[in-house]
Amino acid sequence: MISSKLWDWSSPVWLLIALLLIGYLVLVRGPSRAQLAIFLGGLLAIALAFISPVGVLSDGYLFSAHMVQHLVLLLVVPLCILLSLPKEQMTTWCQDARLDRIGRLLDVASIGWICGVGAMWFWHIPTLCSTAAQRPALGLVRDLSLVIAGIAFWWPIYAPCERYRLSPLTGIAYLFSACLGCTLLGIYITFAPLSVCPVFASPVDRIGILNSLYDAGLTPGIDQHLGGLMMWVPPCILYLGAIISLLCRWYSITDPEPQFLTPSAQPSGATR
Amino acid sequence: MSTEVATPFEPITADSSTGLLSWVSSVDHKRIGILYLLLAVFFLLVGGMEAVLIRIQLSTPNNTFLSPELFNQLFTMHGTTMVFLVGMPFFTGFSNYLIPLMIGAKDVAFPRLNAMSFWMLPFGAFLLYFSFLTGAAPNAGWFSYAPLSTKPYSLGPGVDYWIVSLIVMGVGSIAGAINIIATVLCLRTPGMSLQRVPLFVWIMLMQAMLIVITIPPLNSALALLCVDRWLEAAFFEPVRGGSALLWQHFFWIFGHPEVYVFALPAFAMVSEVIPVFSRKPIYGYAFVAGSSTVILLLSYSVWAHHMFAVGLGTSANIFFSAMTMLIALPTGVKIFNWTATMWGGSIQLTTSMLFAIAFLIQFVIGGLTGVMFAAVPIDWQMTDTYFVVAHFHYVLIGGVVFAIFAATYYWFPKMTGRMLDERLGKWQFWLWLVGFNGTFMVQHFLGAMGMPRRVYTYGDNPGWALLNGISSASVIFMVAGTLVLVWNIVQSLLHGEVSGNNPWDAFTLEWATTSPPPETNFESLPEIKSRRPVWDQQHPEHADWKFAKTPEDGGHRPDRAQVCAWAFVISEAVFFVLLLVTYIVFNAQASGEGPSAATVLDVPRTGVFSLFLLSSSLTFWISERSLRAGRRRAFLSWLGITILLGITFLCGQGWEYAGLLANDVTIDRNLFASTFFTVTGFHGLHVTAGLVALAIMFTLGRQNQLTKVHSKPFGAIGVYWHFVDVVWILVFSIIYLGAFQS
Repeated sequence: MISSKLWDWSSPVWLLIALLLIGYLVLVRGPSRAQLAIFLGGLLAIALAFISPVGVLSDGYLFSAHMVQHLVLLLVVPLCILLSLPKEQMTTWCQDARLDRIGRLLDVASIGWICGVGAMWFWHIPTLCSTAAQRPALGLVRDLSLVIAGIAFWWPIYAPCERYRLSPLTGIAYLFSACLGCTLLGIYITFAPLSVCPVFASPVDRIGILNSLYDAGLTPGIDQHLGGLMMWVPPCILYLGAIISLLCRWYSITDPEPQFLTPSAQPSGATR
Repeated sequence: MSTEVATPFEPITADSSTGLLSWVSSVDHKRIGILYLLLAVFFLLVGGMEAVLIRIQLSTPNNTFLSPELFNQLFTMHGTTMVFLVGMPFFTGFSNYLIPLMIGAKDVAFPRLNAMSFWMLPFGAFLLYFSFLTGAAPNAGWFSYAPLSTKPYSLGPGVDYWIVSLIVMGVGSIAGAINIIATVLCLRTPGMSLQRVPLFVWIMLMQAMLIVITIPPLNSALALLCVDRWLEAAFFEPVRGGSALLWQHFFWIFGHPEVYVFALPAFAMVSEVIPVFSRKPIYGYAFVAGSSTVILLLSYSVWAHHMFAVGLGTSANIFFSAMTMLIALPTGVKIFNWTATMWGGSIQLTTSMLFAIAFLIQFVIGGLTGVMFAAVPIDWQMTDTYFVVAHFHYVLIGGVVFAIFAATYYWFPKMTGRMLDERLGKWQFWLWLVGFNGTFMVQHFLGAMGMPRRVYTYGDNPGWALLNGISSASVIFMVAGTLVLVWNIVQSLLHGEVSGNNPWDAFTLEWATTSPPPETNFESLPEIKSRRPVWDQQHPEHADWKFAKTPEDGGHRPDRAQVCAWAFVISEAVFFVLLLVTYIVFNAQASGEGPSAATVLDVPRTGVFSLFLLSSSLTFWISERSLRAGRRRAFLSWLGITILLGITFLCGQGWEYAGLLANDVTIDRNLFASTFFTVTGFHGLHVTAGLVALAIMFTLGRQNQLTKVHSKPFGAIGVYWHFVDVVWILVFSIIYLGAFQS
């Protein structure tokens, strides 16, 4: 049965999920029901990324599945984590000088931008991409770095404390340029004549499903196409959703404009 | 460009306010706006005549009125003219004229740059039409698909004129757009927060931003085509390893957002006209504004729906199809905004309003056929037939041109002080309505019957002669309507009813001044507490701010030199990114034939010279700090070192080029050589331009004309200089270090 091979029920990721859940329940005081739901959604996303067919196929079989895994780790999981933190508690936490320093560091828009967009580009340099797919240790580093980069990326938009957030317009520029960044990567991967991640061009058939994949039409060429488009369209739609939420925020400010922490922050940050 | 940035703004007073010279030398945004409009009207007539000739040729089957060659030239010139010399100038003209008035400013942010932007346009137009005199006007279509447009297939100079004129006009458009962005961001009158600007201003701001990022892909494609045609490279020649599809990709990365460059202003215009003649504020301001922003974003990711038939693969087709359907949402919902604005309003059916209502209906038809094309199988069936022609003419004429007419009747009184005649206006409206729908509605059927576009004649298939006859005959109505408009304009200018300041009892600031406005635009401004300041002033008992709060103005205005520099740098970045993409596409896999990066480049040596360039960023930063602190000597010496470092880098590049050329690695050798020289060459050109700007600053500094107060424009040049260095980091890591190479 192929379908049973595609699920990795005995994955150690369950442990991580359990740890995260316990950690959340213990550390976070009084999350609203929505926040709890978002957090559980995040855990579900982690499960999807490693335990479901996405996780199994991304382990050496399909580049497109590997791409979905990246997106979940870089964009969905961090977003869920940030949104699931209750504001009041975080505001008290952020009064701690050390945490505040981290918060403000992450608030530098260019850092978040470079982390988010850079992580994607960095891990798709062909040699790195292949090596990370072959060596579990490096793979772990990559996955962790993706989540951390994702938190850094979303921080200026959805930080749990209002004061770390970018002004809506700057936020839009931030997300828009990020969208262009991943569009470029998507174009490169979709239309590149070479195999971006050579491991996936000639997979080692660990669990004997390769033929059925090819029968289903998922040949390496098509697979890379799909991967590139995955890199490109879903994140852009996600950014677009975030932009729409920022626009709503912007048009509903009826009080005098708040003094932003970094009024001149540009997406690339080199203004001054 | 960079020197323009550095020019400090001074109000410029013309010596005389009448006479031809006063128009040519004017830097007043209103006069430049009118020049744009006049140019657009002139070329509307020229492009219209070309269309008439095309329709005469197509009126009967197997017609020999035009030769195939001339037919190709005419539809190429018709398309190019209508896009670059009619559409773009109309919109730039209106936004130039109206935006400073609507935000309560005296002029645009960079009046001289504005004049330059305009005069690039007649220059480009001259180049384009001069090609007729060479006997070989461009004939490869307005999209100039490669390899048809490459040397082996288009030997004559026509395509060369097309390329150069498009580059010239493109530079003008980008400069104009940067000006609009800086004007809206930096020159709003106090109280006018960005959430309170009229929708026209906001949407035109989005359009200007779109221009800044959408013209560069065209420029890079044109640059590559130039290298192909003049230096015998083979980017687009599949026979020699190039890729014809690359041209299509680049062209439509420009071409599709360009559709929104056209559609957004039409939205902007009707968003002003419909509320005024419905006597209501717009329904859902935030949605109309926000969805325009969303369109700006999405328009960049749908270009490949022009390429469903070229074989991109099923997965790519599905994604682009989905994205295309997605972009229909923000556009489609706007239709409801305008309809809801009219709902329950006391509608005044002026000519302007009639055109706006016709716009709504016809744009919906054009939009719906557009959504049909988003479905891949329908596209395969219909592509390159007259169905496509009908579709985009419904968008561009039924939508955009009708909106321009609505805007003309609406703002003519403000520009001239006289009303256009309503009776003649209605004649024009009905003539155009009948003419336009008669011409293009039947083309849907012709397309469905399989009539191919871009072919000079057709066989006598059942029904084709009749439908084509109807299509061609209906053109007469449009021609008559245009003559009525011209007559109306002439008559109204001479004897029209005097309009007064605010003939329509409209809402926005341009109506708060005289018609036409004085040189400095306003004697006094009403207080701005809502989105409709003039309404608030005229009807204080129903003032908007009493009922609905809008975000207050925080008073923050960015520095215009910085805004200009950043917008310029973003535009340039897009240009370089596409060149680098070209490099990666052609060099990701070693071809084995001829020289490659690994075999001919001396990486350590270039690495050393790169250090010179990179350290020049540091020295520039120090000199900038010195200028701000007022240490003139330190400023000058660090600036001098920066220039020397830049020159050293260029010398290194010259050394490298000399070595390569000596080894017979020339630009036409193979695709590596072509891409290498193109990318590094354009970078070198930018370094040179930066050095010229720095040298000017150095000279000004030596003459003591550059002091602390100029540190902001100087910083703007810095933005450009740092950008050039960042580009080099990318170039170095991609070409020399071989990132993205398997």
